[in-house]
Amino acid sequence: MSNKINRRDFLKFVGAGTIGAGAGFLAADVSKMSTEFLIPQVNLPEDYSPGIATWYNTVCTLCSAGCGISVRIREGRAKKIEGNRSHPVNQGKLCAVGQAGLNVLYNPDRIKTPLLRDGERGSGSFRPIGWDEALTTISGVLGTLKIQKKANNAYLLSGAVSGHLNDLFALFMDQLGSQNYLQHEFSYPASLYAANKACFDEDVLPYYDIRNSKYLLSFGADYLGAWLSPVHHGVSYGHLRQGTGQRGRCVQIEPRMSLSGANADEWIAARPGSEGMLALAMAHSIVEQGLYAGADAGDWQQALAAYSPASVAGPSGISAARIVRIATEFAAASPSLAIGGGAAGASTNGTANLVAVNVLNFIGGNIGEAGGILFNPASTFSIDAPRPRAGYQEMLKLFASLSGDDAEVLILHDTNPVFTLPSSANVAAAVMAVPYVIGMSSFMDETMALADIILPLDTYLEVWGDSIPDPGVGFAVASIAQPVVKRLYDTRSAGDIILALAHQIGGELPANMPWTSMENYIMEMWRAVYQGKSNDSSDHGFRKFWLSILESGVWGERSPQQARPRQAMSQAMLSAVHMTQPSFAGNESEYRFVMQPYLSLAFQDGRGANLPWLQELPDPLTSVVYNSWVELNPKTAAELAIHEGDVLLIESTVGSLEAPAFIYQAIRPDVVAMPIGQGHGNYGRYASGRGSNPIEILAPETDIDSGGLAWSATRVKISKTGRRVHVIKTDGTTRDLGRNILGPGHGHA
Amino acid sequence: MSISVLEALAHFKKPVLVLFAGLAGFVGGIWVNGTYFGDASPVQPIEFSHRIHAGENEIPCQYCHVYAARTPVAGVPSVEKCMGCHRSVAIDKPEIIKVAQYYADHEPIPWIKVYDVPDFVHFTHKRHIQAGLECRECHGPVATMDRITRQQPLRMPWCVDCHTKKEVVNGRDCWTCHK
Amino acid sequence: MSTVLEKFKKYRKPGYYDKFDYHWTMSIDLDRCTGCEACVVACQAENNLPIVGEQQFAMRREMKWIRIERYWEGEYPNIKLQFIPMLCQQCDQAPCEIACPVFATYHNQDGLNTQVYNRCIGTRTCAVYCPYEVRFFNWFTYEWDEPLEQQLNPDVTVREKGVMEKCTFCIQRIRQAKDAAKDDGRRRVRDGEVTPACVQSCPTEAMVFGDLNDPDSRVSKMARNPRGYHVLEELNTTPSIVYLKRVHTDG
Repeated sequence: MSNKINRRDFLKFVGAGTIGAGAGFLAADVSKMSTEFLIPQVNLPEDYSPGIATWYNTVCTLCSAGCGISVRIREGRAKKIEGNRSHPVNQGKLCAVGQAGLNVLYNPDRIKTPLLRDGERGSGSFRPIGWDEALTTISGVLGTLKIQKKANNAYLLSGAVSGHLNDLFALFMDQLGSQNYLQHEFSYPASLYAANKACFDEDVLPYYDIRNSKYLLSFGADYLGAWLSPVHHGVSYGHLRQGTGQRGRCVQIEPRMSLSGANADEWIAARPGSEGMLALAMAHSIVEQGLYAGADAGDWQQALAAYSPASVAGPSGISAARIVRIATEFAAASPSLAIGGGAAGASTNGTANLVAVNVLNFIGGNIGEAGGILFNPASTFSIDAPRPRAGYQEMLKLFASLSGDDAEVLILHDTNPVFTLPSSANVAAAVMAVPYVIGMSSFMDETMALADIILPLDTYLEVWGDSIPDPGVGFAVASIAQPVVKRLYDTRSAGDIILALAHQIGGELPANMPWTSMENYIMEMWRAVYQGKSNDSSDHGFRKFWLSILESGVWGERSPQQARPRQAMSQAMLSAVHMTQPSFAGNESEYRFVMQPYLSLAFQDGRGANLPWLQELPDPLTSVVYNSWVELNPKTAAELAIHEGDVLLIESTVGSLEAPAFIYQAIRPDVVAMPIGQGHGNYGRYASGRGSNPIEILAPETDIDSGGLAWSATRVKISKTGRRVHVIKTDGTTRDLGRNILGPGHGHA
Repeated sequence: MSISVLEALAHFKKPVLVLFAGLAGFVGGIWVNGTYFGDASPVQPIEFSHRIHAGENEIPCQYCHVYAARTPVAGVPSVEKCMGCHRSVAIDKPEIIKVAQYYADHEPIPWIKVYDVPDFVHFTHKRHIQAGLECRECHGPVATMDRITRQQPLRMPWCVDCHTKKEVVNGRDCWTCHK
Repeated sequence: MSTVLEKFKKYRKPGYYDKFDYHWTMSIDLDRCTGCEACVVACQAENNLPIVGEQQFAMRREMKWIRIERYWEGEYPNIKLQFIPMLCQQCDQAPCEIACPVFATYHNQDGLNTQVYNRCIGTRTCAVYCPYEVRFFNWFTYEWDEPLEQQLNPDVTVREKGVMEKCTFCIQRIRQAKDAAKDDGRRRVRDGEVTPACVQSCPTEAMVFGDLNDPDSRVSKMARNPRGYHVLEELNTTPSIVYLKRVHTDG
């Protein structure tokens, strides 16, 4: 048989086997694991056990809500962020953005050392320098201004900061001799503050008690997405729906369905800017039906006479019968609550709209009631500096002075106005006009790139600080921020930088700002809080108090709601109520669509775009990732023969941009919407060069009462560019197609 | 069985058989390397002797490996802990001078791991010690070794055998040990 | 109408799961879920899910053990949108387990449908068999840009190229809770001691996790809710996730 093995074959087998064995041996050698080390601690930290996680409490500052967070630390590294269970704002829960905070801390694009401009202003070319050089240079510049009594030509523009860091900034600028300290945040609801000031004479926002409400009527406020305190609202919403035996009802009035609109039982696509009129028409209906209990019903009848449901039906696009039905339901439900915000507050009549919402609450008897609007106590916490957050008008004033001849120095702290303000504001030119610009930030961005010198900041997980949530939760709450990890790079906290500068500038500054570090400053401030609250002035007592707050992450004090005289409030409301028609930039015949930019759930005003987890987080309503898009009603798209992915040219009266089309089922045919957040030019590897920024093409319209930017008041026209791109999204079909995925008997495709 | 395998092999062409021989050799080579040429007794940066510490001086294991009964990791003592004794004991020995130098420089001693389980394995000392296992059942007669030599291959069959023998609850479920 | 729990008991093999220590189950109340996606990032952080990048995402190779699906009903202006979180249903009669040629996916004593990375040879058959599309394949060994890798959870394996992966109900947290119970001298984990990352993060508390073998656990109570149902019930996969139908009111 040919298969008989002879000597030659045997040798072949042996040869092959040997070669194989040799190869195997070598392969194993190559693939051997590298030597692993067993690195001991030199000195043993107190709270450390290998392989066991430790949780530290601090505060999230990625938005202004002020949620308490617990960070899981293993072997000195942050592994996970969760909500702090004992914090009344978020009650152990945390949103997508808050959880992506680890991407901030461990972001590969962080600025790691102080940077000095190395080339033309705005060229983005910097070289690393040491802290000593940086601080000496800056204190030299500021010190000279102070000596020359020209310190009022120094400006500090900061992102939203709360708590004692705000005080420290204010104190520093005051000591320096400058009145020019402003905070800027795109999402700052200037109109909401103005409306509440007009109606309730309050500087802080009231508490909207969604939790205990049975009927939540929202005028444009995306309370589950981007409005004020989304996590707190989420917790409350769960309770409203299924926390008691009686399920609360949610109604949402807005031209483009937001996350809150999607969760509402009824979504009403009113014309943008007509929200206030609708609220007044509902109030009118309630008074007409005799459901308003107050003695001054006659006055209200008179005040609301112009807003009958029939007369509002036209301008709002909502039938009178529907208005009356909602009004009746609202009045019948107890307790009920109306809230307003988002686009309703960002029209040219924004404040008037939100005053109207307050009026509806008043007429519905919801003010000062559980499940309605509750007032936050006047701060029992010793924060003196007001929050100088600027509306759009004030920002324009700032830029005018920056462009003037006198401006000498601009300090930018953690803010990116080049991105978050319309291009018509010419922010970049104003910044460039200042002779010396100092940046303080953890990341390079469009505004920081214009600076002369950049000081790298610690991230919020590496700093000492404190925070007071606004809006509060109906009682006084504050939390302390503490570093949860050792700082990764040669960075410092803004507070430490300010204190170091104060010491170097000299004069009376060191005496008036005697703190050795931010930690020391925060501690001393809290010592004052402690001593103001207890008679114990011993250090031991304070230490116990301090450690207990660090451990729990939160301090709070309940106080009873103060009853407010109804009559006086009614009078204030009667005098506050007013209404104007919303106006839009661009005539309707040429610019057919009202543009609705909206805060993206993940990126907010764009600051989250450099976090890779958020770039890969599908948008909750469209499931799109990694790009911008323009939302169009299916009818509009059909009429213009636009399909998903068609790149559209969006033109306003002041600018234009390109973005792919997305056919969105729930938007008015005369409205187009676009998420804010993408469109960065210089914001790290994950954000740069993606999509476009709708803020850029907004017309400089403002809310007439508050001066806030009316970002919902721009008209645009759209046209096809002829190009088409693949819109990346996770959704396949978005219809149930009889599969009963949402439960038996639910979908009818 | 073996006959039938041979019969089956007889049906293959010779080049295929040569290939088989090569493959068998390859696998064998990997095994030989792993079993006999793994570095089971690496030279450490300090010539630390368990024989002196655990043997002659009879220091209990958990005096230094403090976490063994409490956490997943046994832990190596901090340099500070070494110095706790060696500030006064045997301070003139050259190896102790090295330790003191590390401490003075505030540098950790880069010990080389002898027992290294792969990253996909969840192993906890705590559970094993609390189940009543003696250290030497896995680590051998440490008190007689100057330099530690690995006693076990730390391969899965060894784990599973013991779990089976001791009738560990869910001891053979993959996710009890894999992570 | 029988509740989903009664149906569930009817279809599964009698006594099979009752002899096990636990039967981990999750309920998701769609009347509470707002689609905020906190759970999605929570899972990403807890389970070392990689960033696949724009190009791979475009090829539908995203890695999301939990995702939010959306379904529209009606036409403008009478249009409704509803969200539903979709993750591994930990089916008792799982199609994926039948599919795997190397037994890399199997059912363990806790009622979990588990995936053993070391066994997986990457045939991707399980992903094809899975009607819920919740299995994800590692097309590459994904890298973390330095120093993002410092965030990686040491309790969870970082998977390599060629391996299938999916939701584990945060088995590392279950293990930890069991460990803590043992330290306490208890044989069983108490209700509420295990919360997977997604459940922990959910602001509206739409998700509840627990042991279905314990009739008094929160999740057992949820499973008895008349609104309860299983997704794609007719496939008889008997999932361990009970969805509670959204309440619809007219308007």
